[in-house]
Amino acid sequence: MLAPLSWLKDYVDVKLSPKDLGERLTEVGLSTEKIRRENDDVIFEFEITPNRPDLLSIIGIAREIAAIENTKIKIPKLFEDLKPKKKLPIKITTESSINPRFTGIIIDGITVRQSPDWLKEKLIKAGQRPINNIVDITNYVMLELGNPIHAFDYKKIKGSVMKVHQAKGGEKFTSVDKVTYHLPKGAVIISDSEKIIDLCGIKGGLNSGTFENTKTIFIRVPVEIPVLIRKTATSLSLRSEASSIFERGANAGGTVDALKRCIQLIIKEAGGQIASELFDIKKEVFLPWKLNLELERLNEILGISIAEDEVLKLLQRLNLNPLKKTKDIIEVTVPTYRNDLKIEEDLIEEVARLYGYNKFPKTTPQGQIPIKQIPYFKDYEIEKKIKNVLISSGFSEILTYSLLSEKDLLENETNPDKTLRVDNPVSREFEYLRQSLIPNLKKALAQNKPYFEQINLFELGKVYVGSNIDEEKEFYFLSAVSNNKNFYEVKGVVEKIFEDCGINEAGAKYIQIFDEGIFFELNFSDILSKINLSKRYKPIPKYPPIIEDLSVEVSEKIKVGDIIEEIKKQSSSIRQVSLLDVFENSRTFHIIYQHKERNLTNEEVSKIREKILQSLKNKFKIKLKE
Amino acid sequence: MEEELIQIKNSAVSLILDAKDYRELEELKVQFLGRNGRFTLAIKEISKLPKEKRPEIGRLSNEVKKSIEDTLSAQQTRTKKETSDQLKQKIDVTIPGIKPQIGHLHPMTQVIYDVVDVFNGLGYQVADGPEIETDYYNFEALNIPKDHPARDTQQTLYLDTRNAKVNPGEIILRTQLSGMQARAMEKIKPPLRVIVPGKVFRYEQVDASHGFEFWQVEGFLVDTNVKLTDLFGTIDYVLRKLMGNSIKLKFATTNFPFVEPGVDTYIECTVCKGKGCSFCKMSGWSEIMPAGMIHPNVLKAVGYSSKEWNGFAFCIGLSRLVTLRYKMEDLRLLTNPDLRIIEQF
Repeated sequence: MLAPLSWLKDYVDVKLSPKDLGERLTEVGLSTEKIRRENDDVIFEFEITPNRPDLLSIIGIAREIAAIENTKIKIPKLFEDLKPKKKLPIKITTESSINPRFTGIIIDGITVRQSPDWLKEKLIKAGQRPINNIVDITNYVMLELGNPIHAFDYKKIKGSVMKVHQAKGGEKFTSVDKVTYHLPKGAVIISDSEKIIDLCGIKGGLNSGTFENTKTIFIRVPVEIPVLIRKTATSLSLRSEASSIFERGANAGGTVDALKRCIQLIIKEAGGQIASELFDIKKEVFLPWKLNLELERLNEILGISIAEDEVLKLLQRLNLNPLKKTKDIIEVTVPTYRNDLKIEEDLIEEVARLYGYNKFPKTTPQGQIPIKQIPYFKDYEIEKKIKNVLISSGFSEILTYSLLSEKDLLENETNPDKTLRVDNPVSREFEYLRQSLIPNLKKALAQNKPYFEQINLFELGKVYVGSNIDEEKEFYFLSAVSNNKNFYEVKGVVEKIFEDCGINEAGAKYIQIFDEGIFFELNFSDILSKINLSKRYKPIPKYPPIIEDLSVEVSEKIKVGDIIEEIKKQSSSIRQVSLLDVFENSRTFHIIYQHKERNLTNEEVSKIREKILQSLKNKFKIKLKE
Repeated sequence: MEEELIQIKNSAVSLILDAKDYRELEELKVQFLGRNGRFTLAIKEISKLPKEKRPEIGRLSNEVKKSIEDTLSAQQTRTKKETSDQLKQKIDVTIPGIKPQIGHLHPMTQVIYDVVDVFNGLGYQVADGPEIETDYYNFEALNIPKDHPARDTQQTLYLDTRNAKVNPGEIILRTQLSGMQARAMEKIKPPLRVIVPGKVFRYEQVDASHGFEFWQVEGFLVDTNVKLTDLFGTIDYVLRKLMGNSIKLKFATTNFPFVEPGVDTYIECTVCKGKGCSFCKMSGWSEIMPAGMIHPNVLKAVGYSSKEWNGFAFCIGLSRLVTLRYKMEDLRLLTNPDLRIIEQF
């Protein structure tokens, strides 16, 4: 929302400098994005929060300034002589469930021409393109007061009939800026006896717009249903100033005043006379409403103590007409333009924001420290522990996007049809949810190749599996790549992670060997479910070990892991078996014999050795090396 | 006896001071203090002295022993250092050291660990939830019904629901972590102190300060008699712990449908020190921690009585926190796996 300071000054005296004003407005909730000097004027650019339709108007902003400056706004005097000079026919049918208020009037005998300079200048500064005096006045009054207004060429309303209803879906509609839309089902529209003439709350129709030769106009100031306007605007990707106001909820009590202001300016700038009664079709009365504020609760929630008369003053500055009901209760009357004020908490914010958030003291919550473990609990210590293993092994951590392109999937032999997909991706490059962290690790490796010889990377992140959304499951994966470690070094890292997590599992099946490097990918969620960090002290052995190396002849096909398992099985006095050396068909194993309760004798060891050799011979046809 | 002891001391000290190396010192130690050393043999004679003389000689002998030992130890230290210096002279000590090959944690992870530590200290526990979320938890339970204009501020990525039973538009990539408020609260009664660090997704065009995937940490506290000043105090404490005591903060009113009153927190831009740069959109300030008192409707939706309980919620833009902390001018640096970036941390 653009607001020229000169225009604001039409309604309020501003003492603060533009910079200070911007800061104060931001503090009270009107976020000042930019302050731009333009000739002898200052243009403010505000970001308006979704709850404040009133701030999409210059008067609304002026009211906030008046509250800050502790002064009153000057409202333009309204045209009150509404007696029609003649009566042209018009038949309006509408329904309050789709159009809660329909305010309108006919003006006859106008002259459409360029707007006067003062009007053009105001609109241009506020970011609008001047069109003609009628359109410009409707835009001006919308910007000034916050109620959207549309002027129809009365002569083009066939049959003098205006029927507000909802589209069936698929109807064609050409807007005043000459774009044709296929209307979605439920769009609120106005038809005459032949055609659709208005897409309510969003855009007027080309077929009934105000152009140079228009002589008679029908002015409509409506209140629309926010959800209906938003649905249609979203589905057409068509937004206008009017739709932003209606989506937030237009000032339902303001339509007649906006119409009067409009009539006044039109008669002044375009001539003409009132040619119908003032229509105001509505079911509700749209009066200000009352809300109670309990002083004790206010101070309890804010954590400070604001005196009663100060609270009253703050509320008065916001035009909330506070009235002391009982010792502790203040009743306010909320103007219809503040439809964001619905509950007591909303009033508490009103007092706090004008008091000034930056004047509040800072305290520490006094309550209890919760002891019970929360649902969805996550233990970061486990993650730290595992990442430490990787860091100490030389791996660096990367974070990459969860979304991949179809090309990424195909390059990694993943079927896009069986991959979860975003319906409205930001770009084709980021369309599919990853099922593995390896595609991004591969890309990261390639990206680093020109600058580094030894590259060791890992990522801990989510993957998303399931071939459609009903079967969707998320897991944390932990994946890594190395281009300088050998298979056994990478396997050692995996095994170290398992060992530190108290998980008894072999590492090899998690490792993949590609041209680019050696990768591993672990299901970290699975590790978390199996993790066992409990430790129990085992007494250090009291009796000395007997250590020997055993070299055997093996056929290539037999796996070292199987041999080690077989050796271990032979006696409870074998404490450790490891592979010492591999040479052609020969494998040398390092065996530590040790008994927990006594010294082992050479005789006992040689018996165990015999047993080992016998079993290796039977099972694998392995014999002792000569 | 006295004279003999003093002679032993003098001769030992002068020999020790003249010793050329560590080995010679070891020999002298044996020569004087060893089992058959001069001092050892001398004090064996003490027992032969008359009783009344023994205490005095005993004291003296302790002094002598200590003096020999001290001199020895001082000389040993000196000769060790001389040997080390001599060895170092033989090599080029200016050649850079060989550093251990240790990897680097991503700066985001380092910041998350700090965040978790700070909040753990305040009694918060960490929760972790799904990134593929329902519209209900992400929006509706947070007082943002369908077709609420607040949805414009969080453009959503919707998941393809082809071949699935769920309705289109119901399953999304979470746009915020606030969904965990309802998820946690509906399962447990207050008091609650929870933080949720994680990744969020938006339909957003990428630039230096926006991304379609970025990191946040959400937090909320529910208890009895929670005050707005508690929220201000918590924000101030946490950001100072994370960003240093010299930061400048300011609060502003804002609106999120799931809080009332709503608070926004701005931190003076660390990149330009408030002068205005592309990172802070020339404003000198960066929005860092939106927050507010939890809206009664949110408490009602999970079955809490808003008369009995209240609380606050907040969110820290972690991606922005990391970039502000390390003065990185572009959020995209965080998802760039270039080791030349990561190895700086």
